[in-house]
Amino acid sequence: MKILAVLLGLCLVFVFVWERVDMVRVGYQIERLKHDKTVLERQRDELRVQFSTLSASGRIARVATKELGMNPPQQGQIILVQFRPGSTAPVSVATAAPVEVRVAKNDLLARRY
Amino acid sequence: MAGIAPSGRQSVLLLLLLCGFGVVLFRLVALQIWQAAELSVKADRQHRKTVSLEGGRGTIVDRHGKVLAMNVEVPSAFGVPTTLGSPTKTARMLAPVLHVRSEELERKLRQERSFVWLARKLDPEQGRRLERLSLDGVGVVMEGRRFYPKGPFLSHVLGFAGMDGEGLEGIEHRYESYLRGEKRMMVLQRDALGRSVFPADLTERNPTPGHNLSLTIDEVIQYITERELEDAVSRAQAKSGTMIVLDPQTGAVLAMAVSPRFDPNVVSNLSPDRWRNKALTDAYEPGSTLKAVMAAAAIEERVVRPNTMVFGEHGRMAIANTVIHDHEKLGWVSFAQVIQKSSNIGAAKTGMVLGEHRLHRYLRAFGFGQKTEIDLPGEGTGLLKSVKDWGRRSVASISIGQEIGVTPLQMVSAIAALANEGVLMRPYVVSEIRSSEGQLLKRVSPQVKRRVVSPDTAHTVTKMLEGVVTDGTGVKAAIPGFRVAGKTGTAQKVDPRTGSYSASRFVTSFAGYVPAENPRLAMIVVIDEPQGDTWGGTVAAPVFSRVGEQVLSYLGVGSHEPVTLAMAL
Repeated sequence: MKILAVLLGLCLVFVFVWERVDMVRVGYQIERLKHDKTVLERQRDELRVQFSTLSASGRIARVATKELGMNPPQQGQIILVQFRPGSTAPVSVATAAPVEVRVAKNDLLARRY
Repeated sequence: MAGIAPSGRQSVLLLLLLCGFGVVLFRLVALQIWQAAELSVKADRQHRKTVSLEGGRGTIVDRHGKVLAMNVEVPSAFGVPTTLGSPTKTARMLAPVLHVRSEELERKLRQERSFVWLARKLDPEQGRRLERLSLDGVGVVMEGRRFYPKGPFLSHVLGFAGMDGEGLEGIEHRYESYLRGEKRMMVLQRDALGRSVFPADLTERNPTPGHNLSLTIDEVIQYITERELEDAVSRAQAKSGTMIVLDPQTGAVLAMAVSPRFDPNVVSNLSPDRWRNKALTDAYEPGSTLKAVMAAAAIEERVVRPNTMVFGEHGRMAIANTVIHDHEKLGWVSFAQVIQKSSNIGAAKTGMVLGEHRLHRYLRAFGFGQKTEIDLPGEGTGLLKSVKDWGRRSVASISIGQEIGVTPLQMVSAIAALANEGVLMRPYVVSEIRSSEGQLLKRVSPQVKRRVVSPDTAHTVTKMLEGVVTDGTGVKAAIPGFRVAGKTGTAQKVDPRTGSYSASRFVTSFAGYVPAENPRLAMIVVIDEPQGDTWGGTVAAPVFSRVGEQVLSYLGVGSHEPVTLAMAL
């Protein structure tokens, strides 16, 4: 009976010690994961800044004009074509109702299109 | 003796053991009972680490979620002078990495202090190079740094945050309480090597980051506005320029540009004059653009109608010992032509018939002499004297936009009221505030300030303002395929040396809206001190036209003129 009690006591001590050790181990693990999370968040933020910088309208316009040889549309060159909602067929401009196609006046562009 | 000797040795041994145990027991009692409180405090100090943590500053995005300002953790370098070997050698190694002169670093490292900042908010690459150096007495900590990824873009509206992350100007300052992250002290357990194990209280949560702001600003519209304004200011060799684009039906600010711009990432060397948002702080004499407001007041009060005939005095009229001139010698003209040709004499006469009290009442109703209550800091009230302080010429002067100071924001708000069928809206730049988890905390709804004129009056004035663009002083504001309503303004600036109007310094402007039949944009362009050609109709109106055309196209607003294409699409 005494031996059983001693063994039980030892078991309790073992469980207590094991629990403490495991808590410390999990604690280190949490800290490591938190650190990894911080590093990943930092990388994400850096990438967001980079994306925002690269996608700025000013930069895109600069690349388009200086590197790709494009030009911004001049006044009257922007043509907006509107389709009637629900209509699936492409609008034949020559026969379209006035409300369907609205275009800024520009003969040159009209010929190009 | 043989029987006594072992017993004596045993007694001595026993005595020694007893003494030993006594000492241990005494020490235990001393540690556990007498010194318990003091030692437990010391132990806590060694095992627990209290750190101050601050949640990151909130992000600012445009109406489509494009990032305009955000926080990124970056390295800062510090030194511990007391643990340094050779400050001279360390400073020499650090200088090329930190881009700081080695003499300055050495001076810092020789200070009798336990902690000194060497360089803060460095680039991530600088931090990595610093860590590779692995110098004794030099360390790196991470700090939140405010980044404005688009550089000078929208700088006067965004403002900027200081080194310690506090908002100092613009939206950063106005919405400081929302943007700033929560500051919290946390207690961490640490092991014998000083490494953090886990928070002492496992229920403790990390500090909450600041809230995120969504603006009414549209990145593309802002870009178009800034580009065209900068171009106009440069071509006119002007001192500065301002342009605002509003949605007249809601008061939402779609773009607000001030030229020259500044880079909020690098503000340390700039004077406050560079970052002041002149669109809402600086008052100027609006000149003829104010005639639109005067006309609305006169028509609402039935003082005139568009076809009422006014005599133009052939370009010269004496009032209160002064003379008012017109740039065109006019005889009898309709009131609509007075506005179309921007006749000072016709406007002054109408203003005088309207009378000082009614004119003052309408100017106040349109928002002059008071803040528009936009959610940006530093807004000015402009200058509108009370009637009792008006002189004999004041009614005539104010009717043509002199003796009154307005901010560009006040002027565009007033013009937007005409576009909005006579209803004045409160302009605003922040549309939504969300928590860092995305939860909606506040949505800003358009706010009606008051009705200033009837819809009929607004429509009548719109027709007159269309005449300004089709046949009057503002023909260069025309946008192909769209009906534009607006008014030009060319005002002489007061020369501070003489106290009278300068003959060479002007503020030219154009304020209007488009499409006139269903306005989607209300805009103002103000160019300060253009050189050479100084007329609002030739300097400011073309900017209105270029921005308007591109923005309407971007918004998908169709023109009113159908044009038949030569071939099917």
